[in-house]
Amino acid sequence: MELMEALRVYTSHKEFRPGQKRTISSVLGGKHTISMLPTGTGKSLCYQLPGYMRKGSVLIVSPLLSLMHDQVEQLRAAGEKRAVALNSFLPLEEKNRAMASLEGYKFIFISPEMLGIPMVTARMKELEIALFVVDEAHCISQWGYDFRPDYARLGDVRENLGNPITLALTATATSEVRADIARQLHLDDWEEIVYSIDRPAIAISVEQVGRDKKLSRVIELAESLEGPGIIYFSSKRKAEEIAILLRQHGMNAMSYHGGLEQENRILIQQQFVKGQLDIICATSAFGMGINKQDVRFILHYHMPLDIESYVQEIGRAGRDNGKSIAILLYSPGDEQLSFGLAALELPDDIQISSFFSLAKEIGMKPGDCKTYEKQLVPSAGLTEIQWRLLCDFLLRWKQEKMGAIEEKFSLYVEQRRKVKSNKIKDMLAFISAESCKRVFLLKFFGENADISKETCCSSCGFSYLSFVKKIKNSSRNYHVTWQEELASLLLRR
Amino acid sequence: MEITYFEAVLLHCLNRLKGERTIFSLFHLFHGKKSAQTIQDAHFYHLTPFFHSFPEIEREKLIETAIHLQSSGLLILTAADTWMVTKSGKMKADRILKAYPIPQYHDGLKYQHITRVFWERLSLLVQVCSNLLYEQKDYIPIQNRQETLQWVKSFLLHRKEKRRDISERLYRELLYCFERAPALNPTLFILRLTGHQRIGLTPIQAAEVTGMDYFRFQLEFTNLLHFLLKTIEEQGSSLPILSAVSNIGRAAAPFTLSAEKTFSLLNKGYQPDEIAAMRNLKLNTIEDHIVEIALNAPKFDISKYVQRKKEEKIIEAASNTTVRKLKEIRSFVPEASYFEIRLVLARSGQKWN
Repeated sequence: MELMEALRVYTSHKEFRPGQKRTISSVLGGKHTISMLPTGTGKSLCYQLPGYMRKGSVLIVSPLLSLMHDQVEQLRAAGEKRAVALNSFLPLEEKNRAMASLEGYKFIFISPEMLGIPMVTARMKELEIALFVVDEAHCISQWGYDFRPDYARLGDVRENLGNPITLALTATATSEVRADIARQLHLDDWEEIVYSIDRPAIAISVEQVGRDKKLSRVIELAESLEGPGIIYFSSKRKAEEIAILLRQHGMNAMSYHGGLEQENRILIQQQFVKGQLDIICATSAFGMGINKQDVRFILHYHMPLDIESYVQEIGRAGRDNGKSIAILLYSPGDEQLSFGLAALELPDDIQISSFFSLAKEIGMKPGDCKTYEKQLVPSAGLTEIQWRLLCDFLLRWKQEKMGAIEEKFSLYVEQRRKVKSNKIKDMLAFISAESCKRVFLLKFFGENADISKETCCSSCGFSYLSFVKKIKNSSRNYHVTWQEELASLLLRR
Repeated sequence: MEITYFEAVLLHCLNRLKGERTIFSLFHLFHGKKSAQTIQDAHFYHLTPFFHSFPEIEREKLIETAIHLQSSGLLILTAADTWMVTKSGKMKADRILKAYPIPQYHDGLKYQHITRVFWERLSLLVQVCSNLLYEQKDYIPIQNRQETLQWVKSFLLHRKEKRRDISERLYRELLYCFERAPALNPTLFILRLTGHQRIGLTPIQAAEVTGMDYFRFQLEFTNLLHFLLKTIEEQGSSLPILSAVSNIGRAAAPFTLSAEKTFSLLNKGYQPDEIAAMRNLKLNTIEDHIVEIALNAPKFDISKYVQRKKEEKIIEAASNTTVRKLKEIRSFVPEASYFEIRLVLARSGQKWN
């Protein structure tokens, strides 16, 4: 079947977006493929269509539970019921049910830690795997901004599954990271499909504001800019605080973060998608997997920890190619918060040495680290993220001596610390660059930059006026009676 | 000083406790902890409506609120973590609770174990029906627990009538229920519903839209769900759809799981010490279960565990002491064990209600 025809038969799309067709052809031609497509170009189609055109199941490794859930929901909403998400949050009973009937699923989303379980891998080996997909593949690289230790084992898993055709998808990966992806996945030969990260429809602005002016500036911008929009924060508390403040100023805003109850999370997400909500005050937990075409502005109240996240986050604006704007608010000293957050993710020298000396004292073997969690984690003062990292490390090297592991781990932490701190410095360089911001970003990803646009960035100069709201929104009217509301839900006249 | 709705409720409850319990007993009550102690206290102090009333409240927040009320002279600290309400505290609380009375159908002790599933099913069923009505297939379900999705799916599959008729029947049943209680405000419930091209509000949003305090909204919202459950209980035969939604299968008695096992063994004729040995539990634990069962199963016969005469003595002693402390009661009836006293109190607590 020809690709265009397949597209119409199997999906509701009428045409391919940039990069989709080349990626699909490469995969169908039996080549391992690393595909870097800008956010919002429908990466999921790249494995969906080959899935329909080939026998067997598509196995999709996905790093974030929420993302996995959204993807399954979207497939189901589009009428594809043969999709399932396997992760550690699934109740045991449901997991068993799904595991027993895996052959019935076309699209199996799985978390990397589930794939690490030998029993699960053994079960996967019984399946016919049409395609092995690694979503958000930059997570695989130690040079990536979002490195996940769980991902480091995927190369072995892949080989164990008999070297199936592999598709690595990412929106943001420098050439260095892409090479690392291939190495980590044990790919010997592969096709690379790279599209520009440039999003001409989005104007890029960095604004310096005094520390004490930031709050009033964000309110002013949220009030005047054409919505809908997303405001990103690095703390839940701040996101919540500002959402309340915006509501007090009469705006239709809600906060969204990992601490919300599942039901409220779905409600807020769907309100935003359906246009019932104008502004989301979010942590980075929001955005991945959200399908909304007409986001008009992205504000950053805090600077992201790296340029890759920044590009992903601003890329959620203007997917309909309508004029949109991204504004990052920077107050001198903001980077201190970033350095602090980055440091929290990694244990420091004192924590490491106290953990290992305690472990030696009680004679713990690395393979038993989970048994001693309650005993060791509080005494070494490890956070949840830090413990996950360390635990994974211990299990990975469990055949070695504790002393050797400690050395390895210290080196590893040191290296991650450097990577993270360099990423923040890159971000700062972007913020302070007096040259064109867009050119800066393109160069960062190794692209040739030759741009002359009317509305480009704050360095090139443009006016906010064209992004200002034309008509004030009128808020929804709830003055009908409850009987009428109920009737409008359940009766059709 | 203006106090919030939650603060008024806290004062009201502390006033009922009369300084005989620490604030943590309220924490367990608000969270709906299914321990014999919490359930017993709820009965003793007539606080059953507040069982599982504020499951989101944090321990620190509760203490913080009490300290704040203390510094405003509405509470005084009488022992560690124990507060008594001052006269002005009582006045403030009464004024607020007069304007916004405690919702009358809220009954966490009775419905807590099914409320959540009931709402999940009902809200999803409304969303699915509404979208079916408009022949819309492309939407994200508002509930995502597999069991709930499965239930709605199989429910619709087994109904014989046309999809459109199910929707209309559901409408009529809800209308019927709410019109029976004109004092209620069903808007709070309707605002949270999702349907075709309309996503429901979160509790925070719904509270703001209706101009309510968040905690009051949550209490009133649960009140509406409990009202529906009660109405279904009484008129089930004329509410077939809602009856199916509320038929959640868990036993009506809200025992802890462990107490439930003890209950079924008792019914088979085993003695408490035998059960303790069989289940590898302490006799104390089994006795806790028996007290819990006495509290929740009105027909449970306690005469096997305490002699009639002793029971009368204990009841007399209890009515002569103002403080509901076991030690004090025992000083009047030294021949009774603590277990026997608790058991009798559990049963008579039931009667007082």
